[in-house]
Amino acid sequence: MSHLTSDIVNFGKQYLRSKIGLFFAVIFPVLLILVFGAIFMGGGDSKINLHVQNLDQGPMGDMLIENLTKTNAFTVINVSANENITEYIKNNSLTVAMVIPENFTSDIMMRQMNASVPGLVNVTIYGDPSKTTYSSVLGATGAVTNGMNFGLAGARPIVGTEGKQIASTQKFNYMDFYLPGIIGMTVMTNSLFAMTSVCAEYRQRSYFKLLATTNIKKWEWLVSKFVFYTILLSLALVLTYLVGRAAFDMQSVLTPMAFVLIAAGAFTFTSMGMLLGVFIKDPEGAAAVANAVGFPMMFLSGSFFPLEIMPSYLQAIAGALPLTYLNNGLRDTMVYFNDGGALMNLAVVFACGMIFFILASRLMSWKEK
Amino acid sequence: MPEIVVEVENLVKYYPPDVKAVDDISFDIGSGTIFSMLGPNGAGKTTTVEILEGLRNPTSGSAQVLGADIFKDYSKIRKRVGTLPQNFEPFDLLKPWEAISYWASLYDIRISKKEIDRLIESVNLMDRKNLMSKKLSGGEKRKLGIALSLVNNPELLFLDEPTTGLDPKARRDLWNLIDIIRDKGTTIFLTTHYLDEAEKLSNDVAIMHKGKIIAQGSPDSLVEKYGKSTIIVLEGAGKAGLAKLKEIGISASIDEIDDRNVLVEVKRHSEMKATMARIANSDVPMNDIYTKRESLEDVFLSLIGSKMEDGVLKE
Repeated sequence: MSHLTSDIVNFGKQYLRSKIGLFFAVIFPVLLILVFGAIFMGGGDSKINLHVQNLDQGPMGDMLIENLTKTNAFTVINVSANENITEYIKNNSLTVAMVIPENFTSDIMMRQMNASVPGLVNVTIYGDPSKTTYSSVLGATGAVTNGMNFGLAGARPIVGTEGKQIASTQKFNYMDFYLPGIIGMTVMTNSLFAMTSVCAEYRQRSYFKLLATTNIKKWEWLVSKFVFYTILLSLALVLTYLVGRAAFDMQSVLTPMAFVLIAAGAFTFTSMGMLLGVFIKDPEGAAAVANAVGFPMMFLSGSFFPLEIMPSYLQAIAGALPLTYLNNGLRDTMVYFNDGGALMNLAVVFACGMIFFILASRLMSWKEK
Repeated sequence: MPEIVVEVENLVKYYPPDVKAVDDISFDIGSGTIFSMLGPNGAGKTTTVEILEGLRNPTSGSAQVLGADIFKDYSKIRKRVGTLPQNFEPFDLLKPWEAISYWASLYDIRISKKEIDRLIESVNLMDRKNLMSKKLSGGEKRKLGIALSLVNNPELLFLDEPTTGLDPKARRDLWNLIDIIRDKGTTIFLTTHYLDEAEKLSNDVAIMHKGKIIAQGSPDSLVEKYGKSTIIVLEGAGKAGLAKLKEIGISASIDEIDDRNVLVEVKRHSEMKATMARIANSDVPMNDIYTKRESLEDVFLSLIGSKMEDGVLKE
């Protein structure tokens, strides 16, 4: 048996016998897809609860509430007119609430009959501007009040918008878009976290010194880890994919390009783990460093959230992270069937991997100085 | 004169800014012998071993191992050398037979199941061969380490503190094993801070302190050279025995601990036989006669000025 094969087999035996390793490589991504699937595909009511205090005596307040309900974006909860709204918001920990003023109908009528009466008749929306529910309520209420304005003015809207799904993604559901992120994250965490701690353990237990007394070359040891993680992750992610398909009727496809990307990801993140391992002396330090590098990368690279919702400076950081390109490449090939785009992302991932591999090979020393 | 397997000349290892871990040491190791480097923690033993294993570069000096210059040609002798590093821990999740098979492959050795069994048998781990290594005791783990270091059938074996931290029984088991390996013709370079271990196992001992070799030779020659004397105890000889010894011109004294005994101090080991013969030929009354020899421990105390416990010097 060659050094490479023997090292893959024996490293693999140890990895697979470690229950923690097996859990994170095989069980964790399956659990993740099931949990996220249950959250996003479970058929739950995704409407926003909108607490409305209608102080109006006339029909316009009721009409506004009816129109808001028709948008299907809200479940309207009536707040008694006797409540102090600010106390009510505080006591119920609300992020958004609406008040329709006392003379809402009469003020509208006054302005409709006499165009010289100044100002708008406002409904008040209380809320926390940092919360997305607040901006959703503002936007939807704006659209509803506009519609009422057109009705009161006797005009009909001419310009409108119509939403249509992109043809190539028509058959996909939310989880199809989410799966590539889970695959990218699993490739990153398993390769990076495991290799950082393997390097620290090998140094602490003098395994590197022992290896240095044998005929195995440093590059053979490095390559064997990359090959092992590629095989392991490919199998684990096929399982995740099959579970996702069976449970949530996912239609995205594990294309050959997806496997190439998984291999490139394993190469990049094992090399990155080895590079971090060069500077770490003990397994405790390895866990801390891998967490410090891996977790921000997980959240900033579009594994869980679209990059577009992030501030521009975070998007700039995401652009410097190899996991971003791995996630993008996987979405390109699995969801959009755009292997040209995937190839570009693959090139970036592979280039990062080569840089990490060369640096790790140069800087990692099995001997003492 | 046995063939020289290791030849070290003026070896120096200097760590900036001012630590001389190995300070100009020279020694030879003959084929088929056990050479022990004895000294407290931090004496420079492991640094020396790791230089000779090709794992550290020296600051200056030269070293030939199995005829090769280790700084230029270590790759040529790699397969002829075995290594057990300090505080060896095996791969937790490999069984002993798997670890041996894996290690053999890294030396490009095709090893059969029979050969693996023979190796496991040689270190008395046959009943543990299918157990995960993490379940082995401390002594068994070291034995597995020795089995791994023997996988390439080395001519020279480096054992860096192989019994440190083990209980007395496990230590004695390993001593027997090391003796057997030596008897098969393997040269062994042993580092230890156990004086009894060095005395029991070694053909040659180098006492190392603060990076320097302060004494070197066989345990007997070191005791003779640096020890004060050997004592002949004449049990139950009493004052009558003391008088009789004076008559034949042998200087003696009453044992301060037990005044029924008489003690005869022999300064040189070479004088022992003649002195014993003179006592035997006289009519000194006694119940029993035996010798109390000084040990490496006394030599160490006399050279360093401190006792050593678990590698730490005690004032």
